Amino acid sequence: MGTLIHLLSVFSQLSILGFGGGKGIIPQMHTDAVTTYRWVSSEQFTQFYTIGKLVPGPTTIFAALIGYAALPQRPLLGAAVATAAMFVPSSLMMIGFDSLEARFAASPWRTIVSRGLAPAIVGLVWSSVSTIARGAPSSVAAYVTSAVVVGLMLRTKINAPLLILLSGGVGVALLR
Amino acid sequence: MPAEARPSLGSIALTFATIAATSFGGGQKASIRRQVLARGWIDSDRFLEGLEIAQVLPGPNLLNLAIYCGQKARGVPGAVAAFAGVSIPPFAIVLAAGALYFKFASNPFVHGGLRGCAAGALGLTLGNALELTWDERKSWLSIALVFATALAVSLLHMPLLPVLAIFGGAGILGEWLRARKRTEA
Repeated sequence: MGTLIHLLSVFSQLSILGFGGGKGIIPQMHTDAVTTYRWVSSEQFTQFYTIGKLVPGPTTIFAALIGYAALPQRPLLGAAVATAAMFVPSSLMMIGFDSLEARFAASPWRTIVSRGLAPAIVGLVWSSVSTIARGAPSSVAAYVTSAVVVGLMLRTKINAPLLILLSGGVGVALLR
Repeated sequence: MPAEARPSLGSIALTFATIAATSFGGGQKASIRRQVLARGWIDSDRFLEGLEIAQVLPGPNLLNLAIYCGQKARGVPGAVAAFAGVSIPPFAIVLAAGALYFKFASNPFVHGGLRGCAAGALGLTLGNALELTWDERKSWLSIALVFATALAVSLLHMPLLPVLAIFGGAGILGEWLRARKRTEA
């Protein structure tokens, strides 16, 4: 019961603070799930995040896997609670905004808020890089793989899941 | 207006479920746009408005945008149908992936593959950070805020709420002053 309440509280707070599509919440999620509650290890956190990027839909669906691991005796319940907490609060805000929409129609505030928040979100993405790196393999082969992926992502149109799978192939060969 | 201007809740859920289940690595906004415009659920101006709101408010853009379109088509029940459509297929898929993960992660080949995938995901995140930083290059204040935020989070371990309040707040203030200057000029 305690774990369920903690899952609800952790992921619903992340949900409400998930500005910029949720790109900025990774460092806080790591602090909560790895450091504070020890639901998962750093390596698992990185691998769950990776699975989140690999499957269709929003990346933050990997909250389900943290819930799954947090409640080993009832993994499906843990996954469902974490996912609901991750997605429902922000969705309620979206639904509730409908009644305010007329008031904010063509309001300059929308641009000011989204542009104004952008630098902080980008900074949080840089921090996510270091968060994710903590659970990623540290070897020359792994670093080269990451660097090649950066290059392919910026220079080609190969989609993200395919790049992850190609890296997985490198891993089977070199990172066992 | 096309015939489906008042769609059934099932058709809303199914439309977004299909988009969510097949949205590998982006392109979802374009497919939502195509589908909802073709079905006459909302018009093009409304869609752009919804896209903007979906990006400003917290939450995944795909989910927020689907909720917006569902709500415009059928009110709150439409929004709930859209929510179910976007969340249920990825949830089922990630659960299946999780079950496989916990069963096979200790196998050395699977473990190697996962480590490789993690290195790839790290590369994608780094590439994303580089791209997003490049987008901010026109303002020194923005670049300074990007790196101040990253240092506060990674070195000082500042929690997310104060980070958004301080660095997000500073960014919003900067944008507001800039917008005011523009209107005065």
